[in-house]
Amino acid sequence: MLLNNLNRILALVLCVVGFACSSARAQNPADLVKVELLAEPDAIVPGEPFTVGIKLSMKEHWHTYWQNPGDSGEPTQATWKLPPGFTAGDLEWPAPSLIRVGPAANFGYEGHTILLARVTPPRDVRPGTTVDLAADVAYLVCEKICIPGEASVSLSLPVSEQGRPQHTNALFDAARSQLPQPSPWSAAFGSDTKAITLFLRAQDLRGDAIRSATFFPYDNTLIDNAAPQVLQADGETTRLSIERSQIAKSIPQRIDGVLVLEEDVGGKLARHAFAIQAAPSAALAAGEGGLTILYAVISALIAGVILNLMPCVFPVLSIKILHLTQHEAETPRRVRLHGVAYAFGILACFTILAGVLHALRSGGAEIGWGFQLQSPLVVASLAFILFALGLSLSGILTIGTSLTRVGGSRLLQQGGLSGSFFAGVLATVVATPCTAPFMGASIGFALTQPFQVGLAVFLALGLGLALPFLVLAFMPGLQRLLPRPGPWMETLKQFLAFPLYATVAWLVWVLSFQVGASGLLAALASLVLIAFGAWAYGLSQGQSNVSARALRGMAAVSVVGVVALAIVIDLNRPTETTAQGASPQVSSEAFSQQKLDALLASRQPVFVNLTAAWCITCLVNERTALSTGAVREAFAGKQVTYLKGDWTNRNPEITRLLEKFGRSGVPLYVLYRDGREPVVLPQILTPSLVLDALEQI
Amino acid sequence: MNRRAFATMFASSAAVLLLATGLSHAEVKVGTPAPAFSAVNSEGKTVNLNDYRGKTVVLEWTNDGCPYVRKHYGSGNMQALQKKWTDQGIVWLSVISSPPGEQGFADGARANSLTTERKAMPTAVLLDPKQQVAKAFGATSTPHMYVIKPDGTLAYAGAIDDKPTSRPSDITGAKNYVDEALAELKAGKPVTNPATRAYGCVVKYSS
Repeated sequence: MLLNNLNRILALVLCVVGFACSSARAQNPADLVKVELLAEPDAIVPGEPFTVGIKLSMKEHWHTYWQNPGDSGEPTQATWKLPPGFTAGDLEWPAPSLIRVGPAANFGYEGHTILLARVTPPRDVRPGTTVDLAADVAYLVCEKICIPGEASVSLSLPVSEQGRPQHTNALFDAARSQLPQPSPWSAAFGSDTKAITLFLRAQDLRGDAIRSATFFPYDNTLIDNAAPQVLQADGETTRLSIERSQIAKSIPQRIDGVLVLEEDVGGKLARHAFAIQAAPSAALAAGEGGLTILYAVISALIAGVILNLMPCVFPVLSIKILHLTQHEAETPRRVRLHGVAYAFGILACFTILAGVLHALRSGGAEIGWGFQLQSPLVVASLAFILFALGLSLSGILTIGTSLTRVGGSRLLQQGGLSGSFFAGVLATVVATPCTAPFMGASIGFALTQPFQVGLAVFLALGLGLALPFLVLAFMPGLQRLLPRPGPWMETLKQFLAFPLYATVAWLVWVLSFQVGASGLLAALASLVLIAFGAWAYGLSQGQSNVSARALRGMAAVSVVGVVALAIVIDLNRPTETTAQGASPQVSSEAFSQQKLDALLASRQPVFVNLTAAWCITCLVNERTALSTGAVREAFAGKQVTYLKGDWTNRNPEITRLLEKFGRSGVPLYVLYRDGREPVVLPQILTPSLVLDALEQI
Repeated sequence: MNRRAFATMFASSAAVLLLATGLSHAEVKVGTPAPAFSAVNSEGKTVNLNDYRGKTVVLEWTNDGCPYVRKHYGSGNMQALQKKWTDQGIVWLSVISSPPGEQGFADGARANSLTTERKAMPTAVLLDPKQQVAKAFGATSTPHMYVIKPDGTLAYAGAIDDKPTSRPSDITGAKNYVDEALAELKAGKPVTNPATRAYGCVVKYSS
């Protein structure tokens, strides 16, 4: 490491040329920043890229700057001096800290930092020789005052033969862990005249564990650097509002930067940085204040209208409309009342849904829209209702119905206003599975608003759902356009059962992610029982007293069977769900205490990873340490069984293991070695940490 | 308590204090009226922005110890710009906002000797040791430059040029935003770059 005297000379020259040495209190930049050039391998291999680092160690309270320095300052620059044939890549910047200076804010580093760069040697560099790598590093170091400095640093490395094993270097591991990771969430942004809002599709992000969130854009004209950034998470989308600077002329097509989150991991703060690339969000674009609410209400209304065409709702609506055509005897006023009753049915349901959701959320539950579908019991029940409805449309439940009694379920058949009201309720219930994937984002937004606003969005959605029928009811002219009743209605009705069956198929597929094989079997068995019960009940309608009673008894038994099976479904919660599907994984097995005990009894080494989908630290550890090639190889080489326990849902077995190690939450990494005390790894992993631990087996 | 925790605590209490005393810097906007101010100049006279109605005014935040200020004074760049435009009748006010004991602080006598030593050509040097003017304008850096039109609206706020470094060699070839804005105003044209990110040393705010 050569620390050049250049800066000392420079300071002296400045002092002579300038005139105010006294007022500058003649600080020497070299006393404030120590610059070193380090290499990760202890020898280089021809043609094989390796990592070097420029280590800057600042004196206490002094800082150097990130690539965007913030309100003042200047990024550190490196000019490489490499032997012929060597190339160096761009500097890789660790995530910066926000350094407040008076009313201004800088982005930079205090303490020490390592700027990494990838150097590629040529293929023809000769083994046995040494090469000299050097760089001129220009930096600005500031506390209250700023001092520019320059250092020439160099390093000699031997060239070795091909294939020499490269040990990972703990210092470089640590440096890499400070680099922003690829974002696990897709990002979008909206903007108005005052603020930029970043939206992250981060369903798993738990707001209560995040202590701070700061976005550092690469563009230094984009944001008001010093203004507080406000984080809101609703379980669906995480939003970060950032004040715009007055400097930016226009909003760019893309916003790039680094998002730094501080997560509370068992009382300790873990800092994570993610590289964010946000595209403008059309759906989530926010206007100013009131416009946003109007926008949400209008889009909810439109979405409600579109809902009518969804496979789960369309059959219900069609039948309701067909029903209308048979009320020729009814006065137009009655028809209008039917329309209003239907709308009330829908709106009542949506009000209840909004109320329940709001109550649960204010009770502290971290749920968003679609929460209904997180419960396998609800998913199964919806599948059962839709299946029963489909059966009735197919004609199984309503044998002997005359053409004038089109409409499968009793609810749809009832001629009274209450019938129309319940048709509205039914429409809402069957619409539920379709709204969740469809309306999630907009309703998710509404939930972050006060209850009145949220309710307005929900009611707009309901009104949209009711609208086609309402319009029809209030416009007799349109009613006359409806085709005359006839035998074709029976055919149409039977055909309309198929969209319902399709929805059932989809719900069963959803269920397959939520329950195990036996739960799924119970759900499918329930469907068979429902079909059987429906058939028995339908048959009973045209029978004499005795056989009717027997058939109804069979139907009742089926219902009881379905309820019993539903309990099985609910109990059969998964032991293994991972939300981190996309990232490369080490082949792991689902954790259970039984499995662990069995493995330990057979004296095998076991690595236990207790994780959860909402734990960012877990996610980062898996990406940066556990999934790296070296760690995977070591697992395989040492024949370590990798058990992964997912604590995303409550799991008492995992909770007990956590408690055994004195932890109240994830992550927990434990390495069991034959007969010896288990080793607990730190909550923040680096590859070398894991490799060192595996080394001891 | 470890250092980091202490630093965090210190920073957050400082932030709270800032908010409590309402010091959060005012964001001035180009195209809107510049905030009215009065300050004592290096001759001991009180200067009011309103005194210069009908004239174009340049505000230059300065700190003679700051390497970025030295870049422009050491090379003669700032003096040349001052001369070029004061010769054409514009008002150039250099503002010193460093509080006593901080780098760049100057009383009237020191400010005047700095002007003489550096052969600077400002219309006046304003002393702002309590950062009242700096706060009104949201000045964060030295040099931070503002151009105010004769009607009192802000025409430019930001850096002196587009090379945010402390190296004097970067002045050649840099686009001088202040010169550009003044030339455009003189020609009756709209300012091409009315707002840029200022660069330099942080304005020393006394806490």
